[in-house]
Amino acid sequence: MRGNRTTTSCALALVLTLAGTLTGCGGDGGGGSGGKVSLRFTWWGNPDRAARTEEAVKLFEQRHPDIDIATSFAGFDTYKAKLATQAAGGDAPDVMQLDYRQINQYATSGILLDLGEHPELRTSEIDKGLLATGVVDGRQYALPVARGTETVAYDAALWHKAGVPEPTLTWTWNDWADAMRKLSASKATQGRVGSTDPGQSEDVFEIWLRSRGKALYTKDEKLGFTADDLTRYWEWCTKLRKEGAVVPAEQTTQMDGTVENTPLGRLKSVSDFNWDAPTSGYAPIVGEGLKLAPLPVGEDGTPGQYFKPSMFFGASAETAHPKQAAQFIDFLLNDKKAGAILGATRGIPANDAIRQDVLPKLEGFDQVISTYQKQFEGKLKDPPPAPPKGDASLQSTFSRDYDQVAYERMSPREAAENYITEAKAELRQ
Amino acid sequence: MTATATRPPDAAPPATGGKRAAKRERQGAAWVFLSPWVLGAAVLTLLPMAVSLYLSFTDYDMFDAPRWIGFRNYTQMFTEDPRYWRSVITTLTYVVIAVPLQLLLALAVAIALKSVKRGKGFYRSAFYAPSLLGASMSIALVWRAIFNDGGSVDNLLSGMGIDIGGWINKPGWAILSVALLTIWQFGAPMVIFLAGLQQIPAELYEAAAVDGASWWRQFRSITIPMLSPVLFFNLVLQMIQAFQVFTPAFAVSAGKGGPADSTLVYTLYLYDRGFTASHMGYASAMAWALLLAIGVVTAVLFRTSRAWVFYANDNNEGAR
Repeated sequence: MRGNRTTTSCALALVLTLAGTLTGCGGDGGGGSGGKVSLRFTWWGNPDRAARTEEAVKLFEQRHPDIDIATSFAGFDTYKAKLATQAAGGDAPDVMQLDYRQINQYATSGILLDLGEHPELRTSEIDKGLLATGVVDGRQYALPVARGTETVAYDAALWHKAGVPEPTLTWTWNDWADAMRKLSASKATQGRVGSTDPGQSEDVFEIWLRSRGKALYTKDEKLGFTADDLTRYWEWCTKLRKEGAVVPAEQTTQMDGTVENTPLGRLKSVSDFNWDAPTSGYAPIVGEGLKLAPLPVGEDGTPGQYFKPSMFFGASAETAHPKQAAQFIDFLLNDKKAGAILGATRGIPANDAIRQDVLPKLEGFDQVISTYQKQFEGKLKDPPPAPPKGDASLQSTFSRDYDQVAYERMSPREAAENYITEAKAELRQ
Repeated sequence: MTATATRPPDAAPPATGGKRAAKRERQGAAWVFLSPWVLGAAVLTLLPMAVSLYLSFTDYDMFDAPRWIGFRNYTQMFTEDPRYWRSVITTLTYVVIAVPLQLLLALAVAIALKSVKRGKGFYRSAFYAPSLLGASMSIALVWRAIFNDGGSVDNLLSGMGIDIGGWINKPGWAILSVALLTIWQFGAPMVIFLAGLQQIPAELYEAAAVDGASWWRQFRSITIPMLSPVLFFNLVLQMIQAFQVFTPAFAVSAGKGGPADSTLVYTLYLYDRGFTASHMGYASAMAWALLLAIGVVTAVLFRTSRAWVFYANDNNEGAR
C-alpha cells in the first residue's frame, strides 16, 4: 500500500514536471517550425464568438501561409486573471483582446506594443473619438474593435398598459424617476417595480455624473467627483428604493453580471440599466414587448451617454513578430471578408465601412441594437479617456459600498466617504 | 534494497568500509527515486511559499517590480482596513457554526450506522458521497439556486409557512447557507468516526451493561473517552479546512461576498485583493496572517487536548 502510494506520487510529480516543460515549449511561440511564424491570440467570449473567430483566423492563415495563429479563449473573469498573470511573467500573448480598464495599466507597464508605429495597421476607417480611447501618453497602444452604449431595456407592453408615456431621446432623470413611481404604483405591472436600483452600478453613476457636467476621472487621471456628488446620487437612489420605485436590496444583491439574474431577467422589475450588447439576452425572457430606451439626460438637456469601445485588440511589446501581429490585427479590424464572418459577435463594429456592410445583415435583436445605436449618431459627447491605472477593483468596491447603504448598514454619506477614501488609495492620490 | 539483493548470498560479508559504501549507495538510490517528489515539493510548494513571504513585505501589482515596504501591508491590514476585520469575523462565525455542527452530525450518523445490519455499504457510500461532490463549484452553484429567492428550499419553507424569501440575499442567512453546505459534507469525518467506533472493545459495553449502565451513561463514559483521539483528529482537520473555506462563499455570493459583505470570508477577500485589485503583496500578507492564525489555533487545541483526549494505552497519569 505504502509503496503504491509512493509510486503514484512519483508518477504524478513526473507528469507535472513534464507537463510544465511541455507547456513551456508550446508557450514559446517564437520561432515556430519550418520557417513559419507563429502567433498566440487570446480573447474572452462565448462559443459563438469562438466559432466565428476560428473561421476568420483560418481565412487569415490561408492568405498568409507563413503565419500560424494559435488561439485560446476563456470567460471574462478567468481571462482577466490569467492575462494579468501571463503579463506579469513576461509571457503575454502576441495578440490579445483587451478591456477598456486594462489599457492604461498595461500600456504604462510596458506590456503593450505601440501600434501607431506599424503602417501595416490602418486606422483611417475608425471613428476618431473612439480611436482616441486606445491612446495612452500620445501612443496608440490598442485599437477599439466595436462600440457599445448603455441603455434602459424595458417591457414596452407593460408601460403601455400602465399608461406611462414611452421614453424619448430627451427624457430627464426626473422624468425617469416619475415613470418608475407610476409603473410601481400601477396595477398593470402586477407587483413588479419600475427598475433595477441604479445605486449599485458605477456605469450608471458615470452617465448621471456626465449629464451634470462631471466625470468619473479628470483628464489628469484624478477622481472627477467628490463625496458630495456620490452622496447625492446614493441619497436619490435610497429615496426611490424606499418609495418602492426601484427594487429592494434583496433583489439587487442577486445580480451577478448575467442577464438572467437581473431583476428584469427575474421578472421582478419592468426595466433595467445595461450595456446594449447583452440585452439580446432579455428577449427570450421578456418577450415581444422588449425595447431599448436611451439613458435619461441632465435637467438642462446634457447627455451623459457615450459610445464606449466594447473591447480592444493590442499586441505584446515582447512579441518576436510585431509586423505579423500588426498585420493580423489589421485583418481582424479592416478586412471586409473578416468583417462579414465576425459580424456583431464583438459588438457593432468600430470600422465605419465594415459597419455599413454588416448592419443590413444583422438578424433578430442585433438589428434592434444597431437601430438603437443609430439614433445617437452625432449627438453624443466624446467618450472619456481610458480609466487610470488602479481603478480595476473600484467597480466592485462601488457596488459593495452601495450594498451597505441598501441594507441600511451605512448612510449614503458614510458609504460615499468610504468609497472616496478607497478610490484615492487605489489611485495613489 | 536493490543493492543488497544483488550481492550473492554466499559472498563473504564486506569490510566496514564496504558496508558504508553500500549504505551510501542505498541512500543514493533512495534519492533518485525521491527526486521527482522532492523536486515537486521544492518547486511547487517551498519556492512559491518563500516568494509569497517576500512579496508580503512589498507593494506588488503584478506589473511593476515589487517595491519593498517592510511591514506596511501588515499594519494596513490590522489598523486601516475595516473590510479585513469584517472578513475575519465572518470566517470565525462560519467556523464556529459549521465545525461543531458538522462533527456532531458526523458522530450521530456514525453511531447510527454502526448498528445498521443490512445495506451497510449502501448507507455509508450514500452519506459519504457529498464529501466527494461537495467541494465542487457545480454543487455550490446548485446550492445557490436552491437557497435563492424562489428556489426549492425557499419554496418548501414558505409552503410550511416560514417565509424567508431566499437565504442568499439576506445578510444573516447567507452565511448559514454556506455553513450548511459544509455541514452537509460530513462524510469524511463520519467514516473516521466509524472506524474509531469499531476500535472500541465490545467487552467494555458488555461489562457496563452487566453493571446496569444506561445508554447515555455508556455513551458518556465509554464511547466519548475511547473516541476522544479520533474526535480530536477530526476537530483539528475540519477546523483547518473551515478556516480556508472559499468555493461555497464564492459561488453563493457570485464572487462578491455579499449581501452586505456577510459572506466575505477570509480567503474570498484575499482572492479579491490579489486577483481583482492586483495587490499581490497585500494578499500574500493576508495569506501569512492566516497561516499563523491557523497555527496558533491548532497549537491551542493541542494544548487543551491534554485535558480531554484519552489514549487507551496511556498509563493513566496525565491522561486526565
